[in-house]
Amino acid sequence: MEVQTQIPRLTLWWLLAALFLVITPHLFRLPLWISLLIIACVVWRILIFAGRAAFPNKALKMLIVFLSIPLTIAQYRSLGAGLDAAVCLLIMGTAFKLLEMRKRRDMLIVVSLCYVLSMVGFIYSQTILASIHALITFTVITGALISLQRENARSSFTGNAQLAIRLVAQSIPLTIVLFILVPRVAPLWTMPVPVSSNKTGVTDEMSPGNISNLSRSAELAFRVSFDATTPIHEELYWRGLVLDYFDGRAWRRSASAFQTYAMMERFQRPEQGVRNGTPVSYDIILEPTQQTWIYALPLAQLNVSDVIQDRNFTLHKEKPVTQRFRYQVQSYLNYDIDVELASTLEARALQLPEQELNPRSKQLAAQFRQEAPEDRAYALRVLRLFREEPFFYTLTPPALGEASIDEFLFSSRQGFCEHYASSFVYLMRAAGIPARVVVGYQGGEVNPFEGYTMVYQYNAHAWAEVWLEGEGWVRFDPTGAVAPERISEGAQSVLANQPGFLEDSRFSMMRFRNTQWLNSLRLRLDAMDYAWNRWVVSYDEDMQLQFLETLFGEKARERLYLVLGVAISIFFVIAAYFLLRGRKQKQYDEATKFYLRLTDDLAAQGIVRQRGEGPIDFCARVGKEKPELAEAMADITTIYVQLNYAGKLGEGQKHELLFARLRQSIRELRLTLNSPWRRLVLRAWPGQL
Amino acid sequence: MNLIAAVKPWFSKRVSRWLDRRLPAVSEVQLHRKNIFILPTGPGFLYLSATALIFVTAINYVLSLAFGLAFLMTSLFILCILHTFRNLQHLRIRGAGAEPVFAGAQAAFVFVLYRNAMQVHEMLELRFPHGNWSYANVLDNQQERVKVFLPTQQRGYLRAPRVTVQTRFPLGLWRAWSHVDLDMSVLVYPQPIAGELPIASGGMSTGDSNSVQVGVEDFHGLRNYNTGDSPKQIAWKNLARGQGLKVKQFVDAQDEHLILDWEQLHGLDTEERLSRLCYWVLSLAQRDVDFGLRLPGVEVCLGRGDAHCKKVLRTLALWNTGAQ
Repeated sequence: MEVQTQIPRLTLWWLLAALFLVITPHLFRLPLWISLLIIACVVWRILIFAGRAAFPNKALKMLIVFLSIPLTIAQYRSLGAGLDAAVCLLIMGTAFKLLEMRKRRDMLIVVSLCYVLSMVGFIYSQTILASIHALITFTVITGALISLQRENARSSFTGNAQLAIRLVAQSIPLTIVLFILVPRVAPLWTMPVPVSSNKTGVTDEMSPGNISNLSRSAELAFRVSFDATTPIHEELYWRGLVLDYFDGRAWRRSASAFQTYAMMERFQRPEQGVRNGTPVSYDIILEPTQQTWIYALPLAQLNVSDVIQDRNFTLHKEKPVTQRFRYQVQSYLNYDIDVELASTLEARALQLPEQELNPRSKQLAAQFRQEAPEDRAYALRVLRLFREEPFFYTLTPPALGEASIDEFLFSSRQGFCEHYASSFVYLMRAAGIPARVVVGYQGGEVNPFEGYTMVYQYNAHAWAEVWLEGEGWVRFDPTGAVAPERISEGAQSVLANQPGFLEDSRFSMMRFRNTQWLNSLRLRLDAMDYAWNRWVVSYDEDMQLQFLETLFGEKARERLYLVLGVAISIFFVIAAYFLLRGRKQKQYDEATKFYLRLTDDLAAQGIVRQRGEGPIDFCARVGKEKPELAEAMADITTIYVQLNYAGKLGEGQKHELLFARLRQSIRELRLTLNSPWRRLVLRAWPGQL
Repeated sequence: MNLIAAVKPWFSKRVSRWLDRRLPAVSEVQLHRKNIFILPTGPGFLYLSATALIFVTAINYVLSLAFGLAFLMTSLFILCILHTFRNLQHLRIRGAGAEPVFAGAQAAFVFVLYRNAMQVHEMLELRFPHGNWSYANVLDNQQERVKVFLPTQQRGYLRAPRVTVQTRFPLGLWRAWSHVDLDMSVLVYPQPIAGELPIASGGMSTGDSNSVQVGVEDFHGLRNYNTGDSPKQIAWKNLARGQGLKVKQFVDAQDEHLILDWEQLHGLDTEERLSRLCYWVLSLAQRDVDFGLRLPGVEVCLGRGDAHCKKVLRTLALWNTGAQ
């Protein structure tokens, strides 16, 4: 049915621009050969466009498709990620379609694919930047559709861009209404999640060096906003995992710890914890870690469907955190856990490697035990060791050999938190006191603009929990004995000058925190990102309901569809009113345009043309106020009046001549009116004259 | 399929009757809310399915921003209703007639499209049913003329069917259209077909039979110069073009009376006879001679010139059709 089946040239550029925008973010994630293949397709298409190459023939197309599909699947099979492969195939399909795109129909398919691809980006990133990128892409795709439709004098790049921007801008109000009001439903079926191989954050194994590694990174771990006041820095121990198995070098979760979610669920014993006082309520947005555990202050209590608390009171999510994960927690900072210690837990908390590698430490433990037979006193004695002997808190400790504890305690004496936590727990266990290592984060930086707390990777920390008779598990932080500022002020204040700190985030703004304005810019950007995440990215069913209830009262849920319908209708009516009413465009003829420029300049000189003041009256006034301009002004006014008011002078040559004279006179006058600097600008940019 | 085939004519008849009631024939029509129809196009549905795909993905991956994108697409789709509709509303269309054509050719109906001061109309598409699209834009000028073509088959007056005026601007997702009947007709002359000159030999012509040869071969206008031919007869223009010395055959037959006669065309049916007559009317009109026409019941006197030619052709077109 289409008569015009060819794709206009301008449209092709629009489409290529849209495709470029849509594919670029993925190019860096895709395997190199696929990226190159896609680039080749685009270049080929441009060559076809320029008349330098022919469309691929059928055999070649077949060959490309039949080679690339199995190769892609093979490529991704090793990663076991269905989604990445699907995205990759989608992008390749679009690139191939581009190659054989001849008609409007093909182009419409490519346009639809572009729309879908611009969504795919959100699976990987939902930052403000990603959204702005998507909005620009959307506008460009819309521009491509416009230029496909528009084949008239107005179809220029700027003309189409203006219309595209106008259309998108006009759609935004309704978009916001729909975003807020359209009911969010639970996922219809489970989807493969993109598996990222780079797990971030604290791991479930602690060996010398792997926490100090995290301090090289200024990446965000999570952000917290407290409902009431933020607890003091020393209280901010974000518990992640309990590591209670020591193999002589590394600490792990004991093999008998309940590994699967289902088992944890069965064995959790919340009654073992006693929560005292009033809790601190807060809300955490955790950055993706690709791990299953999540962080909270002890002793946490939360009501999230797929998160449970295990026997060690650490929190586990059913599936790895692959996207930003938001959860609300209440923590009872004053707590008792395991006042009665189960025998299995006790056995685990006393475990030491079978092979004795650290005899001197054992000896030291025995010696301290004699000095302090009471458990708490013993622990304090060990802390005193760290405080009084020349121990150093450093990011770059010397490497340790087989007998890591002995070497650390007696020779190197330089270490990061994992060294202190490890040797502390070792000394406890050696004295027969149940103890374990806890890893997580300590501290956080309060954003002064929004009042929430940012916890970075360099806040990663390891500390100890010791079981004391009648008290249960009590937190001891040996790092605090060596570097009390680490606990009271934070990692950056202690480590800022140490080599290696934030080394992996070379370009992070965190490195410039001493430059006042850069630091405040960083904090502002983070505040923006946080607000974005809190209110837009994590807007879900619950938030929707909460919000609607504040707006429409208790029955919001039942009224949702009604509200939605009314909102859409209101939008439609308003839009219809403004669009269908049409608008009188201010159209000055050329002569008036120049005349108005002159009056603008005169206004700058203090002679403002009054509302309703005709050109002749105005001319008389100018002559009175500035006699030196009188002659030129009279000349201009005569021509202008002739051109504009003396009826239709006719279009012919006379009109043209008059207009040219008017323009010339106005130019000359304006050059005398303006300052030398402005004159220079005007000369450089003659369009403005 | 059979069912559809059976229902289709019935349905289209109902539709056209409904249209006749809703949009009666007028000489000028302004498009507004009540005579503009609007529905999504094929690409519109494609766009909607892309939106649906994005929406489902947003649900399944719990992607807030993908929801946002799906809603943005939905909003744009809804907004396009207004933009597409707006592009057609307030458009004033007047039929400016059509020049007569010969049967078998395309009649070019001229429509004048007017805009008001408030808005412009871009990428308007017009066509008669099953015809080819003509495109028009009413942008800077207050009015634009557009020709819409309609194939002709029979001589006589051809009443233009409803013309479809549509637009898919700006995004091609919606199609707004109207079927307007501007009460236009075009005069269709018979199709000219070459044949023998239908003039009764002898009786019809007076004067020197040497210079008027009855018969097709001799009557192609020029013959070679023979000694004794009058200089008046020489085709000077052709001589000037270097085509040799020729003689115009009818130059000396100024008082010739050529009456094209229906009766001379034996063994042909009505339309074929009229086609032959039409051919000769055209040929004679070019040659600047007086000629007339005789049809059963109608006779056009001798004459020459454009007006005469048109009158003769009109007579041929309307003969025995009941129209005047």
